[in-house]
Amino acid sequence: MAELATRPLTLTINGESVGPIEVPDDLMMIDFLHEYLGLTGSRLGCGQGICRACVVILDHDDGTSEEMRICITGAHFFNAKRIRTIEGHASRDATGNVTALTPVQQKFVDHFAFQCSYCAPGFVNAATVLVERLERDPVPRDRLEDAIDEALGHHICRCTGYVRYYAAARAAIDDLGLVREG
Amino acid sequence: MKRLMIGTLVLLPSLTAEAADSTSATNDAALVEQGRYLARTADCAACHTTDDGAPFAGGVPIASPFGTIYGTNITPDPDYGIGNYSADEFYHAITRGEVPDGRQLYPAMPYTSYHLMRREDSDAIYAFLMSREPIARAAPPTDLGFPFNQRWGLTLWNIVYADDLAPTPAEDRSPAWRRGQYLVEVMGHCGECHTPRGWTGAMDLDRHLEGGMLEGYLAPSLRAEALAERGWNPHDLAQFLQQGMSPQGSAFNEMYPVMHHSTQYLQDDDLAAMATYLLGDAAPEPRTIEVKALDAVGESATRGRQRYLETCAGCHGGDGKGKPEAAVAMAGNTTLRLKDPTNLLRVTLDGIEERDFPGFSRLQQMPGFGDDLSDAEIADLSNYLRETWGGQPGNVSPQDVADARVSGTHDDP
Repeated sequence: MAELATRPLTLTINGESVGPIEVPDDLMMIDFLHEYLGLTGSRLGCGQGICRACVVILDHDDGTSEEMRICITGAHFFNAKRIRTIEGHASRDATGNVTALTPVQQKFVDHFAFQCSYCAPGFVNAATVLVERLERDPVPRDRLEDAIDEALGHHICRCTGYVRYYAAARAAIDDLGLVREG
Repeated sequence: MKRLMIGTLVLLPSLTAEAADSTSATNDAALVEQGRYLARTADCAACHTTDDGAPFAGGVPIASPFGTIYGTNITPDPDYGIGNYSADEFYHAITRGEVPDGRQLYPAMPYTSYHLMRREDSDAIYAFLMSREPIARAAPPTDLGFPFNQRWGLTLWNIVYADDLAPTPAEDRSPAWRRGQYLVEVMGHCGECHTPRGWTGAMDLDRHLEGGMLEGYLAPSLRAEALAERGWNPHDLAQFLQQGMSPQGSAFNEMYPVMHHSTQYLQDDDLAAMATYLLGDAAPEPRTIEVKALDAVGESATRGRQRYLETCAGCHGGDGKGKPEAAVAMAGNTTLRLKDPTNLLRVTLDGIEERDFPGFSRLQQMPGFGDDLSDAEIADLSNYLRETWGGQPGNVSPQDVADARVSGTHDDP
């Protein structure tokens, strides 16, 4: 067994700088979040990038955002990058108590979109990436369903909450005025 | 048995006509089944059946450097298909590229390979196709720019090239080798992709099976020494054709449909014959690659090791052994052993679709990393893979990656 090679990792998670911290060079990002930072909201499902329960948001310098599957992406891929995890969405007070959910989170709750909630962090992050894309470029009404399907369709929910997830995403997008009429 | 049949005929003369009919029906059914098998060896479906369309109704787009050609309707429909062809005319069309009204077929139809198809095999395929459901649907018209839309030019092309394809004399070869030659060269028309093409679009027969380019991907050399160099032996080659997977990797890009429509259905002895022909009666010893340790690879490859751990190891494993039903092994992978890095770069940039394989196997989608990794990062990653598991030098430059990005930007037909 080779010695455990490590290298320093520095990144920004939910707006806060993390590191530099010595991390094994082959550690997957989900294990880093769970084991080093105690951020256990990102879920390990299939472990091979299929179910997308582990998805976090990668923020690019140009203002765009992207889903990343962190069960198959190494921690060091995110060196010097900015990500958001499920823990970073809601507003909190000084003591860390949640004071307000994001519109996407709120609609998911209102629509009873999830049951067991295992897939919910991935769905929240995917729907948030979609909302942020539509904020830059609203979707025509007749393309709305396709846009939701393209954004959420790869996420697996074993309680089969798809219909409610889609309805909740539709409601959030509508409320936020991100649909172009005609 | 014979005596019993004669006795039956004598005793029951009124049934003889029916018995004869039923014998001929049995013969017909056997011929149709034979034709079904031969149509698979010839991979007719690859171009004549779309993913979601009726069998043999045509419409598969075939990109050529000159424009898009569509597979035609070869169901027995008299108006849109080949319902009015006689067996003679069918044989003439598939072996010479001339259809009954005198038109020349575009050589996307591999009649240069089928040229030496045995008449009885053509007849069996004809019987099979004629037993299919006629589909009254026109295939889309071809979309070639001038001058390639001028079919008269093809006549000359045919005269020049089609008769040069007689296989090498084979008297001193085993029956399996000769059967394999027929399956590879004539029915399977492997050379249509694996032989490089000259500027006219015709196969360069001096470089037979040495590898061709297909929409930005390399159809690698099938020469025995090249296959052995990349780790192939007869057993694994036959397994690859049957299952689409072997220790050397999986069928991807245009080889996947070949396995899916054609070679997975071939009988074991036919697959073994193809491997015997390709590798020879005395197959060369496959080259083994010593896995290179990290301290033995170059600077670019050392950087690439970290990229590999970050973006690839989640599925292919830190040790390169892959995950069953998810991702192929890098250790022993034949694509990494190609001198030309084109396929490695293309797959890294484009990814590979999720695919089902025979026997309820599957491989999940491989994401493309063109958007997430820079040219320099992909060059480093490629050099790590080539040096560690490919026995190849780490000579891929960022410019090579940039060029591969450009060669991959084509309009999908």
